[in-house]
Order: sequence, then structure tokens, then C-alpha cells
Amino acid sequence: MRVQVAFIDPALACLNNNEKAGVMRTILHLCTLGIVILAAQGAAANTPTIRLFPTTVVEDLRQTSNVARDMETGLQEVIGRLDQQHDLYQETKCSGAEDDPGCQRLAKQIGATYLEMLTIMAERLPDMEHTVNNTRKSLEKGLRNELGKKMTPWKLQETLIGANSTRAISQSAPALRGRSGMRLSERFQQYYQLVATSGAKGDQSLAVLASDIYLDMEETSVLIQRTRQEIARATLMEQLNQSFGIITPEMIEVVGGVKSILFGDDDGQPLVAGPPPGSIDQAYRSPLEN
Amino acid sequence: MNSRNTGNPLPGIAAIICTALALTACASTAPTCISPLTKNLDSALASVQASLVNGCQAHFDRYYDNLLTIAEGDPKPENKREFSEFLVWANANGLLSNRQAENYYNRYFNVKFMAMKGDYNNCSNTCPNKQQVFLNLERELSDKERGLMKVSRDADGYYRADKLFQQIELVLTATCTACSAGR
Repeated sequence: MRVQVAFIDPALACLNNNEKAGVMRTILHLCTLGIVILAAQGAAANTPTIRLFPTTVVEDLRQTSNVARDMETGLQEVIGRLDQQHDLYQETKCSGAEDDPGCQRLAKQIGATYLEMLTIMAERLPDMEHTVNNTRKSLEKGLRNELGKKMTPWKLQETLIGANSTRAISQSAPALRGRSGMRLSERFQQYYQLVATSGAKGDQSLAVLASDIYLDMEETSVLIQRTRQEIARATLMEQLNQSFGIITPEMIEVVGGVKSILFGDDDGQPLVAGPPPGSIDQAYRSPLEN
Repeated sequence: MNSRNTGNPLPGIAAIICTALALTACASTAPTCISPLTKNLDSALASVQASLVNGCQAHFDRYYDNLLTIAEGDPKPENKREFSEFLVWANANGLLSNRQAENYYNRYFNVKFMAMKGDYNNCSNTCPNKQQVFLNLERELSDKERGLMKVSRDADGYYRADKLFQQIELVLTATCTACSAGR
């Protein structure tokens, strides 16, 4: 303080002692305020935060959503055409009359459209695989470091307990795994939006969200790998079938599968149990509680 | 031969009597450690406390189970306090350590899972035993159903525990997959 006075004194030469004291008090208050602010910032910086969604993940999710949308757009028309052709095949009672030349022509057309669908998928899937894998790897690193190596199981539970206490966040969060009835691109778009606006949310819900997205990406990645292998086989089979003009049950099954993955299946919506009656206000807190 | 048959039978008789007396004496002092016969929780707690201080501390687990069963007959939120006070008493009387008392209480009446206790990080310690951890969590959830729902009528608490269980399962599965991918 003495040093400060000696340093400031020449600047205050024109003021009387009372005024000098007032100015010094103000400076002292400002210094104290500054120290308090710095300390608060330091404390905030020291508060452990979970870094599960670096900007790369947000960007990867956005890109995955775009790639999925492109694939859907490309396939939607072909799948629509396949549905129409299949309906026509059924309506003209071609089932059981495969030897009829008209039915054979129709079956070949269906086979050709099916091949077209496989080709579009084969073209788009590598991009999809690439973006999904990028997202998966970024999330994997975050989960391993932040939840796997920096946390004990008890700390992890404490983090999740925080998520349960913030009810508004929990309610706005999407249903957990196994969601269906939603387009692939919409799902990634929803992930992207959730992650992009996650600044306002607690670390707790992020842990659940990151885990959910990561496991989903893991499954999607495996599914894409298998699909790419299957496409090669199915394409060869269909090229053979083209010469005979047959519709195999496998074709119908594959188209159905692709539709449900890409465009969702409304029947598959999981039921969510309502909250049970009861109030937490009356809850007793024991001195033994951890 | 004769001299052996006509010997004094008194020492033998005395020995038999002494043994019989000794056995009777033991039987009369050993604690019976019977389960509480009443269906009223307060009376049952008093009876169990009396038994525990009279040498039945080895039967603590059974008594605790008996008390829970009795409390299930009259579920109410106040039961939580009754059990907490009982465990605090058991700790104060040296029947349970502090950690044991906490475990007995939290396993049944707290939303948090004691199965998640651990001092080492998840990658190195929880993930290698993931299946066992999940099994322990499942068992504890079942105990929480009993303590929170059936004894304390705290459905909200039980549903929060159930939700926490699902979240732990999801997050641990993802974390352990990520840990194993990094090896």
C-alpha cells in the first residue's frame, strides 16, 4: 500500500488530504474488486468441466446429417418407384403367373430399379461411413479421457445425479437408445442441434448424450460395413436374376429394411412410462446418506 | 472280576450329574436370537435392539431383513427415519462401523448406488469388471425397490434410482467401449 501511495502521490498533488484519501479509497476498492473478479474467474476456470463435444464433433455431426440427407434424397425417388412397381405386380396378379411374358417384363423392371437402389447406396455409403467414423472417433476419445480415465465410478454417478436434478434438461433430452420412427438425417440433425446448443446444458446431460450418440455411431458404423459387403453380393445376385426376371423375397426384405433405416418406422415408437405419483418435498434425508 | 463289578459307582454318577448340570447351565445363558414376533415396527425395533445388545449381533443381517419385512406391512415415508435412527444407534453401540451403517441405509433408501463405490478410474477398474458391476447394480436396484417403494412409499425416489440405473448402464457401456478401443 505504501508503494502504491508513493507511486500515485505525484498525480494527486493538486488535491487536498481528504480528497486524496477518498481517491485512494476508491482505488483500493477497485483493486479489491479486481482481485475478487480474478479469483472468481480462476475458480470458474478450475471448476472441472467435461469436454465431450469439441467443435470437430459438432462439425462432424452436421456433415453426417447432410450426407444422410443426400442419401435419402437420392433413394427416396427410387424406393417410391419400387413401391409402385411392386404394387402393380401384385395388382396384376403376377404372383403365381411368373411365366407370363408381361409379368416377366414387370419383374425385370423391378429388378432393374432394385439394382439402381443398390448402386446409389454403394455410391453414397463410403461418404456416410467416413463422417460417421470421424464422429465416432472424436466421441470415443472424449469419453475415454473424460469419463473413463478422469473419473471414478462414484464421480461418474455424481455427475449423472446432477443430470437427474435438472429436470428441465432431462425432459428436453431425446429418448435414449433404440429410437426409430425418425429419418436418419433428422436423427443426426437432432444430435447436431442438441450438441450445438449444449453450452446452456450441464455436463451431466452431455455425458448421457455423448454416450448415446457414440453407441449409435458404433452400431451405424458396423451396419454400414455390413451393408457395403451385402450390396456387392446382392448386386451380383440381382444381375443373375435379371436374366430370369424373378422377384426374390430377399429383394422385398432389403427394400423394407432400407426404408425403415432411412425413413423410420412409425410403429416402432417406444412407450415412455409416466411419472409416478409422489413428491420429493416430503423426502427424509438421513445423516447416513452419501 | 468281582472286585470290578462291586466297585463304588458314586464317582461315575457324580460325573454324569456334573455334565448334565454344565449343559443345562450353558443352555440357559445362550441368547435365543429369535426374530421379532410383532408386526409393529417400533416394537420390532425395540425387540431387535434388545437382542442385539444381548449377544445376537452376528444375526444383524437377518434382523435387518426381518425389520424390512415388518415395515413393508405398513409402508410410509417415516420408515426411512426409523431405519436411519436404528442404524445410527447400531453404529453408536459398536455393532456396525460407520461405513457398514452407511451401506445398510443407502443400499435400500438412497437413490445413489453403493455398487458404484470405487477409488480407481473407470477404464482401469470398472470396465474390466463391467458385467459384475451391472449385476451388482441390478441387485441393488431391487433392494432400492424394497426400501424406497415397498417400505417408504417413495415411488418418486425409486423411479429416479431406476432412471439413474439406466443412465449408468448406458454411459458405462459407451465409456467401456471407448476405453477398450483405445488399448
